[in-house]
Amino acid sequence: MSVAATRRQSLWSKAAWKLRRDRFGMLGLAVVLAYFVAAVGVWLGLWATGWGDVAGGKWDSVSSEHWFGTNLIGQDIFQRSIYSISTAFEIGLIVAVLSTLLGAVLGAMAGFFSGRATDEFVVWLMGVLDSIPFYLLVAAIAFALEGNPWSMHVAMISTFWITTARLVRGEVIKLKGLEFVEAAHAIGVPEYTIIFRHILPNTFHILLVQSTITFVAAIKSEVILSFLGLGVKDGMSWGLMISESTFEVLAGFFNNFLAASVLMFGLVMAFSIFSDALQDALDPRQVS
Amino acid sequence: MEVLQYSLRRLVAGIPLLLGVTFISFLLMVYFGPDQTYQLLGKNPTAEQIAEIRAELGYDQPFLVRYADYLREVATLDFGNSNSTGELVTDLLARTIPVSLMLILPGFLLGNLLALLLALLAAHYRSRWPDKGIMAFSVVGMSISYLIVIIAFQVIFSSSSGLGWFPVRGWNVHSLAEYLEYVTVPTLATVFVALGYNTRFYRSVIVEELNRDHVRTARAFGVPPAKLLYRNVLKNCLIPIITRVVFTIPLIVISGALLVETYFGIPGVGKVTFDAITTGDQPVLKAVVGLTAVLFVLAQLVVDVLYRAVDPRVSLS
Amino acid sequence: MTTSLKALTNLRWLPAALMACLAACGGGDDAGNSSPGSSAGLKVYRHSMDESPTSLDPVQASNVYANHVLINAYDTLFSYQYLARPYVLKPNLADGWPEISTDTLTYTIRLKRGVRYIDDPCFPDGKGREVTAADVVYSLKRHFDPATRPQGAWLWQGRIVGLDAWKEAGSNYDQEVEGLRALDDHTLQIKLVQPYPQLLDTLAQGYSSVVPREAVEHYGREFGIRPVGSGPFRLVSYDTARIVMDRNPGFRQEPVDLAAEGYDPATQGQYGLERIEGRSPPFIDRLEFQFIADASARWNSFTKGDEAQYTTIPNEQIDRVLTSKHPITLKPEYAEKYFFYAGMEAGFIFQTWNLLDPEFGYNEDPERERRNKALRCAVIKSFDWPARNDSFYGGIGTIFPGIIVPVVPEFDPDLSRVSVTRDVAGARKLLEDNGWNAANLPMFTFGTTANVLNRLMFEQFRAWLKDIGYPPEKVVLKQYATFGDISKAWKQAELPWVVKGWGLDYPDAENTLQLFYGPNSSPGSNDSNWRNPEYDALYEQSSVMLPSPERTEIYRRMNEMVIDACLTATGLARTRIHLWHKDVIALPDREIVGGFFLKYVDVED
Repeated sequence: MSVAATRRQSLWSKAAWKLRRDRFGMLGLAVVLAYFVAAVGVWLGLWATGWGDVAGGKWDSVSSEHWFGTNLIGQDIFQRSIYSISTAFEIGLIVAVLSTLLGAVLGAMAGFFSGRATDEFVVWLMGVLDSIPFYLLVAAIAFALEGNPWSMHVAMISTFWITTARLVRGEVIKLKGLEFVEAAHAIGVPEYTIIFRHILPNTFHILLVQSTITFVAAIKSEVILSFLGLGVKDGMSWGLMISESTFEVLAGFFNNFLAASVLMFGLVMAFSIFSDALQDALDPRQVS
Repeated sequence: MEVLQYSLRRLVAGIPLLLGVTFISFLLMVYFGPDQTYQLLGKNPTAEQIAEIRAELGYDQPFLVRYADYLREVATLDFGNSNSTGELVTDLLARTIPVSLMLILPGFLLGNLLALLLALLAAHYRSRWPDKGIMAFSVVGMSISYLIVIIAFQVIFSSSSGLGWFPVRGWNVHSLAEYLEYVTVPTLATVFVALGYNTRFYRSVIVEELNRDHVRTARAFGVPPAKLLYRNVLKNCLIPIITRVVFTIPLIVISGALLVETYFGIPGVGKVTFDAITTGDQPVLKAVVGLTAVLFVLAQLVVDVLYRAVDPRVSLS
Repeated sequence: MTTSLKALTNLRWLPAALMACLAACGGGDDAGNSSPGSSAGLKVYRHSMDESPTSLDPVQASNVYANHVLINAYDTLFSYQYLARPYVLKPNLADGWPEISTDTLTYTIRLKRGVRYIDDPCFPDGKGREVTAADVVYSLKRHFDPATRPQGAWLWQGRIVGLDAWKEAGSNYDQEVEGLRALDDHTLQIKLVQPYPQLLDTLAQGYSSVVPREAVEHYGREFGIRPVGSGPFRLVSYDTARIVMDRNPGFRQEPVDLAAEGYDPATQGQYGLERIEGRSPPFIDRLEFQFIADASARWNSFTKGDEAQYTTIPNEQIDRVLTSKHPITLKPEYAEKYFFYAGMEAGFIFQTWNLLDPEFGYNEDPERERRNKALRCAVIKSFDWPARNDSFYGGIGTIFPGIIVPVVPEFDPDLSRVSVTRDVAGARKLLEDNGWNAANLPMFTFGTTANVLNRLMFEQFRAWLKDIGYPPEKVVLKQYATFGDISKAWKQAELPWVVKGWGLDYPDAENTLQLFYGPNSSPGSNDSNWRNPEYDALYEQSSVMLPSPERTEIYRRMNEMVIDACLTATGLARTRIHLWHKDVIALPDREIVGGFFLKYVDVED
C-alpha cells in the first residue's frame, strides 16, 4: 500500500493503545455508552414509553411510583428525562455526522484547490455564515422553514460545519504538498480520487475529534434553542424540561430542573472527557 | 501609509463578504421572515384591511427591489422606523447598543483576563495538580448550559428564596452603584460560562508556545519564569488570542447577550433583535444584520493590521 | 513595535474609558432627572405588567397593556367608575351625559371646558392648547385612514353615518363626515346608522383617546412613542422594559367623590381609600410601569420590596401564598405586608372547533356531517375543566357553561353544567355509536403559540383524548412563534381547534355573543365559522335593543344554541389576585379597559 496507508495504521493502533491507558477517558466512554444504551432502549420502545401520560398530581415529590416526581400536569419526570436522552442522541448524532461530512468535503475541496475559485468561495461562505450571530441565524432559519421540525438541525449543521472545514482545509493544505500526492498526480490519478481516497482519510483523526465536539455543542445548543422556542417540536428534550422548570424553580419545585440539568451535565461532561482523551491519543506529537 | 493602503485594500476585499452576509440574512430574515401583517391587525379585520396593511409594509414588491432598497439603507444608515413601535431605528439602536455594551463588557473582560491567568497557571504547572484541577474545572464549566447557570444564579443571588442581594431583573441605571447592582449577576453568569472555554483555549495556545525551541533555549539560559512568560511567550500567543477576542466583538456588540438580556429584562440590542426576528419587524432586522456585517468586515481588517503590529514577519502586501 | 505593544497590553486606560462610557451612556432618563428613589419627596408608584405595549398610538391600542398607558396620557370622552363593580360608565372628558334623540340615532355630547393638552414642541409656541370637539372628530376619523394602520375601526364600522364613505373617498381629514361633526368647539354630534347601545362604551376605550392633530402631523411615525395628550400623566421615557410617566401639572382639578365612584365600604373599606376623598387626582408624582414577561421574575421584583409595588400572583406561587382558596385568604406573612383583591376577569378562556374543516365540521356528505357533530361533542365531553383549572389557573378560576361570562348581568348561574362536566363513558359511547374508532379518527392538529405552558396544555389535552380512545399519534402540536402568526392561522381558518382567551371590551354579553355571529366569520372574530341563520337573526334583533329582560331572554336562548351545536369547550373565567404593598392606596384592576384606576393611586409617604 502507499505511504499514506501505513502511516494511518500506526497512528490508529497507537492511539487505541494510548486511549485504553487513559483512565478518565475510558470512564467517560463507559458513561457515554451507558447513556447510549438508554437511548436505544427508548428507540426500541423498551422503557420511558409513558412519558406523555398524565398519571400523577401536580408537582408530586419523589415516590416509588414516580422516581423523580411529577411535573405541573402530573407527568412522570423520570420517564421524561430518560426519553430526552434519546432526543439528545438523535440530535447529537445527526448534527455531528452531517456537519462533519459537510465540513470534511468542503474543507478538503477548499484546501486542495487552495488559492483558486473553489477555495475563495468556501472561505467566503465560512466568513459569511460566521458573521451572522448564531441564535439569529437559527431563528431566521426556523422561520424561513416555517416551523419544520428539522429546522433546528438544519440551522445547527449550517454553522457547525465551519470549524471542521477550517481544520480540514488547513490539514489538506499541508498534506497536498507531500510526496505521495505528487506521486499520485504523476501517475495520473484524477483529482477528486486523490482528495477523497488518499488525502481525506488522513484527516480522519481530526474529523473524529471534531465530531465529538460537535455532538456536545449540539446538545448544549438544543437547550437554549428549546428555551427560546426554536428547538425541539415533537417529543421531549432536556431543553424543554429546563424551559418548563424556569417558572417552577421560583415556586420551590426543583425536580424538573435538577433531573434535566444533572443528566445533561453527566452526558456532556463524560463526552467531553472522552473527546479530550481521544484528542490526546490521536495527537502525533504527544509521545507517551 | 503602507498601513492605510493595506487597510483600503482589505476593506475592498471585504465587500463580497458584506454582500454575502446582507444577501443571506436578507433572504432568511426579511424575505422568508414572519409576516407582520397579522400582528398589526385589529380584532375583526376585513380582507381589504389585510391587503392594505400588507401594502403598507411593502410585502408586495419584487425581491430585487427590496434587496436593493436594503443595500441603500445600509449605505446611508437610514433604516426608517420600526414597524412595531414607530421609533426611528437609529434611535432605537443608539439607545440599546450602549446598554448591551455596558452589560457585556465586564463579563467579557473578566472572563478573558481570568481565563488568561488561569491558563498561565495551568501551563506553568503543566501536568501537575494545579493544571489538572484547572482543566477539570474548565470541563465542568463547559458542560453546564448557559441557561442553567443563569436560572441558578438568579435563584441563588437575586430571588427571595436565595440571598436576595441583587435585583431580579431590570436596568434602572443612573449611577455607578446602581450599575454594579444590576450588572453583577449577569456578569457572574457570563464569566462562569466563558471561563471554561477560554481557559482551555488559552492554555492550549500557551502550551504550544512553551514547547517551542526558543522558549526552551531561554529557559536553559536561566531566564526567570515571569520574564520568560512576558517577553518570549505572551507576545507570540497574542495572535490567536487577538483573533479570538476581536472576532467575538461584533457579534457581542450587535446581537448582544441575547439570553441574558431576555432573562434579566435588560433593554439591550440582543433582545430587541430577537423580538424583531420573531415579529418580523423588518427595519430593525435589516439594521442589525447590516451593521453586524459591516462590523465583522472591520474586525477582520483590525485583526490583520494588529497581526502586523505583533508579528513583523507578516507582510502587508 | 515593543512600545505600542506595551501600550496595548497595558490596561490602565480601561477604567477611565469605562467611566467615560458610563457617564455618557448611563446618565439619567430623558428628563435628565435622577432615579426617583434617590430623589427626596417624590411620590412614585411602580406598576408591573407582563407585556409592554408595542405602540402608544391610540389607533393601535389593541390590548390592555397599551390601554394602561393611553388612558392615562390621554382623555377619553367616557370612562368607568373607579370602584363600582360591576363596571359602570361615567362621563370623563364629556361634560355630563349626552343628549340622545328619541330614535336613539343622534347623540349630542358636550365637552368640558378649559381642558388643555400638555406643553409640547408640536404646538406653535410649545404651549398646549385647549381640547376641542374637532379633536374628537379627528381622533375617531384616524381609525378609518389606512395610513395609520388602525386596529379599532371595527368598533364604529358601518355604524356612523358617512364615515365609511369618507374612507372610500380617500380619508381626507379636511372633509366633513355627516355623522361625526363638531358643532362648535365644545359640542360633538354623532349620527348613527342604526341604534348602537354600546356606543358610549366604545368612547371609553383606549382607541377613542383624543389626540391633537398637530402632534400626529409633527411626529409622523414617531407619534407612536410620543403621546401628546390631556390626561393625568405625561410620558417621560419608553422602552420595552419600562415606561415612566410624570404627573401632568395642568390636569384639570376634579375632587374625588367616592360615593359617585361606586365606593362600597363593606367590601372595599380595608384599603384606606377614604384618604383620597375630596382631593383632586393625580396624587403621585411619578408613575412607572415595569414590563416583566416572566411571571416568577415579576413576583421576585415584587417581593423584594423596593421594586414593583403591584403584581398579580403567578399561578405557581398560589399554593405558597394562600392558606385557603375558598374564600381566598393570604398567609399571615403576606397579609401583613400586602393588600389583595381577587378579581374575576371580565372575559374567559375557551376552545372552539373550526367548522370549515371538513374533518370535524361542515361536510358535503350529510352523513359525515352528522358524525362530525358527534365527534365534536365527544371531544368536548373529554375535557377535564377542574384539572385544567388546577394545573394552569391556580384552581381559583370559575368554570361555567356557555359563552355568557359570569361578570355580565345577563349571566345565568342556573344554566345546566352538563357541557362542562367530564364524561368519558358518554364520550366513548358517542364515538362508538357513530362509527368512530382508532383507525378512522382524523388527525387532530392543536395549534398554540410557542411557550412552555401551552405545550403542557397540549400534552394534558392529548392525555384526555387518549382516555376516550383517540390515539395519541393522531393528536399533534403545531406551534407558532408569535401571536401574530397564530392569529393569521385562525383568520385563514387553517386550524381545526382554536384555543383562545377573550377579554371583554365592554361589560355587555353582546361582546361574546358576536363571536359566533355568521358574518363575523374568518377573517373576523368568529373563529368557529358557524353560520346559523336563526342565531344570526336573534343577534341582529338584540344588537339594537337596550338592556332589558326581553334582551336577556334572547341572549340566553342564543347561548343555549351554541352549547347544543357542540361548537366549543367553554369556559373558564380566570381569577386574578392583585397584590400591592400596603403603602399604596388603590384598588387595582385591569379588566374591560385596563388601567383606569391609575389616576387615583396614592402612596403613603
